[in-house]
Amino acid sequence: MVDLDRALVDIRSIRRQVAQTTEFRGYGPATLFATAVLAVLAGVVQAYWVPEPAAHPAQYVALWITTAVVCAGLIATQMLTRANRLHSEMADEMIRMAVAQFLPAAAAGAILPFVLLHVSPAVFWMLPGLWQIIFSLGVFASCRCLPRMMILVGEWFLLAGLACIALGDNRSLAPLAMAGVYAIPMAGVAVIHLYEYRKAATDEA
Amino acid sequence: MKPERSREEAPFAYQGLDRVIHERARLSVLTSLVTHPSGLTFVELKGLCALTDGNLARHLQVLEEETMVRLTKEDDAGRMLTTARITASGRKRYLEYLTVLEQVVRDAASLSREVEDSSGELSPALP
Repeated sequence: MVDLDRALVDIRSIRRQVAQTTEFRGYGPATLFATAVLAVLAGVVQAYWVPEPAAHPAQYVALWITTAVVCAGLIATQMLTRANRLHSEMADEMIRMAVAQFLPAAAAGAILPFVLLHVSPAVFWMLPGLWQIIFSLGVFASCRCLPRMMILVGEWFLLAGLACIALGDNRSLAPLAMAGVYAIPMAGVAVIHLYEYRKAATDEA
Repeated sequence: MKPERSREEAPFAYQGLDRVIHERARLSVLTSLVTHPSGLTFVELKGLCALTDGNLARHLQVLEEETMVRLTKEDDAGRMLTTARITASGRKRYLEYLTVLEQVVRDAASLSREVEDSSGELSPALP
């Protein structure tokens, strides 16, 4: 029995090693583009519904958390179907790895607004900048299994986050700071993924 | 050609166990290559798989004929360096093989547990 259990552990270990050296194709270009559109819509909603976010921080957080949850739901749903189709035997391992790489950043991003709202409301204006920095760390953590150009996306979010913090006041809560900063690179990410998948499909043919 | 039977009809047929891969040296070569997608040189492969020059060359030739491996020769400071890389179809076949192999071990482990349990029930209790 010990030998058989050891053999199963060895097979799982090979599978994990293969997953670590395989480019993850679970992120669908169309879904990524849809999240960029959703971010623009959320920016428009903010301009009308929360014109003064510093005065209504809870509404601002509710709007952007809702947008993030909808985007995450869309990405997760497509990830499950795409990964099963494109990675077949490796799908479970690759999804587990993709989630594990991004989850710490997602968890930090989810907790942060509640800390700022309830503990440090004076520095609430830092939220968009910190969200972008945290998102950049999630992208950097996922880069190993994504197309190489994704590192540029991580750098964009890091620089945008630092720029937001450098503003030093409530200007960082403007709709453009979230909608524009997210939508522009995500549309680019959709194009990168589409290009890489087509290239991979041509290579495999 | 015999039709493939379902897993319910012949649970231990393991038709997915690819004969090309199911050879110790070739399994060793493919496992090394699948975990190094940028490729491995002939010397590196020889060391990782503990094979002689002749043996490794012969197995690489078989894998190349099956289009599972691509061999390239590059000039490295005046000497030719052979590099082996796994192809997309080689990777796919290897992963399918791994899934069946995992099923073989799972089946064996589950049968082994059943045998252990039943022998435990039949044997008289020790005083």
